[in-house]
Amino acid sequence: MFRNYKLHELMVVRCAKEIRDGEVVFAGVGLPLITVSFAMATHAPNMILLTEGGSIRATAPPGLAITVDDPALFCNGDAASGMLSTMAALQRGEVDVAFIGGAQIDRYGNVNSTGVGNWDEADTFTYFAGSGGANDMAASAKRVLAMMPQDPKKFVERVDYVTTPGPGKVNGFQTGKGWIPGGPTMVVSTMGVYKFDDNTREIYLAEYFPGLPVERIRANCSFDLKISPDLKQTPIPSEEELTTLRSIDPTGFYLD
Amino acid sequence: MAAVKNKTMALKEAVATFVNDGDTVYYGGFQIMVPMAITHELIRQKKRGLKILNASTDAGGLDLLVGAGCVAEMHLAWAMNWYVKAPYAIRRAFQAGRVKRHDLSNFGATSALLAGYLGIPFIPVRGNIGSDMIKHNPRDLKVMEDPFSGEPIPVVRAWRADVAVIHAQRADWLGNVVAWGTRGVTDELGCMAAKRGVIVTAEEIVDPEAVRSDPDRTVVPYFKTLAVVHCPWGAHPSACRGYYGVDIRFCQYQGKYERSEHLLPIFLEQWVYGCEDHEAYIRKYIEKFGKEGLERLRPVLGFKPKMDVDYGYHDPAVWKGVPQYTDENIKA
Repeated sequence: MFRNYKLHELMVVRCAKEIRDGEVVFAGVGLPLITVSFAMATHAPNMILLTEGGSIRATAPPGLAITVDDPALFCNGDAASGMLSTMAALQRGEVDVAFIGGAQIDRYGNVNSTGVGNWDEADTFTYFAGSGGANDMAASAKRVLAMMPQDPKKFVERVDYVTTPGPGKVNGFQTGKGWIPGGPTMVVSTMGVYKFDDNTREIYLAEYFPGLPVERIRANCSFDLKISPDLKQTPIPSEEELTTLRSIDPTGFYLD
Repeated sequence: MAAVKNKTMALKEAVATFVNDGDTVYYGGFQIMVPMAITHELIRQKKRGLKILNASTDAGGLDLLVGAGCVAEMHLAWAMNWYVKAPYAIRRAFQAGRVKRHDLSNFGATSALLAGYLGIPFIPVRGNIGSDMIKHNPRDLKVMEDPFSGEPIPVVRAWRADVAVIHAQRADWLGNVVAWGTRGVTDELGCMAAKRGVIVTAEEIVDPEAVRSDPDRTVVPYFKTLAVVHCPWGAHPSACRGYYGVDIRFCQYQGKYERSEHLLPIFLEQWVYGCEDHEAYIRKYIEKFGKEGLERLRPVLGFKPKMDVDYGYHDPAVWKGVPQYTDENIKA
């Protein structure tokens, strides 16, 4: 099928639609920063952006923010007072939506952004960056969206390292209770949109991206993926949406 | 308490005097403002066994420090050269057992620094519980019973470095450190928690009168500061707010060396050991990539405060000789 967009562009556009206008949104480095800028430029002009670098702003930055403490985020920002202030707002429960990334996710929504291999046998373990704020965001935001490129190595039966616990029971703790993170509430990959079953806490496919047969999505998942009986197709992004999105990242630093 | 004196010195002298092998070091900056000139000097002086405290660090600064064999332990949430999407030298050092990693979340790290700042032994934090970090990092994270509710609650140990190393926009010769546009992300906490004090490299050294005219911007007061080093481009190739942006191409170039254990020593030889100091490093940069390489990093300026403030005070001397205010009710 011919597509005039890249799959990760649709991932961003679809994810942005989860932001409601006026909400407080916490975004990490990478595509989440693009996602919030896109939401601000389209349907959510009144949202408030918080980042780990300490930026609090009600308007879009004047240029592409590459990092979460990018100078662009502090030019005409509303407040700039360090990691303590924004992450404390998160911990106080004032954040409506947070976005996390990761290297692996499993059928129970556990996310790994630390590394692959067996941590206890160091020579087998390949480190990525580490949690950063992912665990904190999943612990305290009201809704947590995971953005993950999809392939069978990333969608796995069990993650190698639980950086951010999923909505189920993990390491002997029932997540989502008291001070225990509740994990992602939705996952948007480069192939579709996933939600979690309220009873089994297991991930299922709720939407597929246009032109991607369910069998191909299942083949890019290394566990037996459940499919929603109400499976929908994610809308194709409009020309206008794609133009707006690409204007946020004109050199393609994140979108190429 | 440190005496009021001129604390400016050369970086070589500051690192030789105030950083010992085996020290616990708060490593400043975040995705920008990485203390790169200090990183290079720690490598040049072959400091060993450092224990690094940090929330998140980018641009490969810590990757070089670990790759050069200076680090024994790292306590942090995130370490990366974002422009090659990996922490290659850290990865190899962990696999070879040369460095121990103690992972926790960003707010776990911030809270650990806050506890150090407050001078208390530990502090509760949401999150981390239920993750594998709590299994693998008992040095920093524990679960205890909340004495009030009885619920299990994660706590992090207070982090107090022996010495903090940071890069800042400005400092005065007394040691007051000035930052704008985020108060240094976590530098304020990490520096104030440091037991011996702070080494700061700054783009510009100013007079104390300038700092005192706008004390809201002081993130580290002089009594915590050990050494002030004038060091333009001291965060390169990471960015310094209002002075230069991230040198993305150089981060990628450096990352290609970080990637290979055979290439990394060549990078260190050429860009660190082979440069006498940070000025020599910048001269080498200009020789290799031209002045236009640095020109390209100039920021879009024009974001100056539009709100003029005056710290004016009221002089109580005006009350001298003013009679008590009174009326009929009080008299009666």
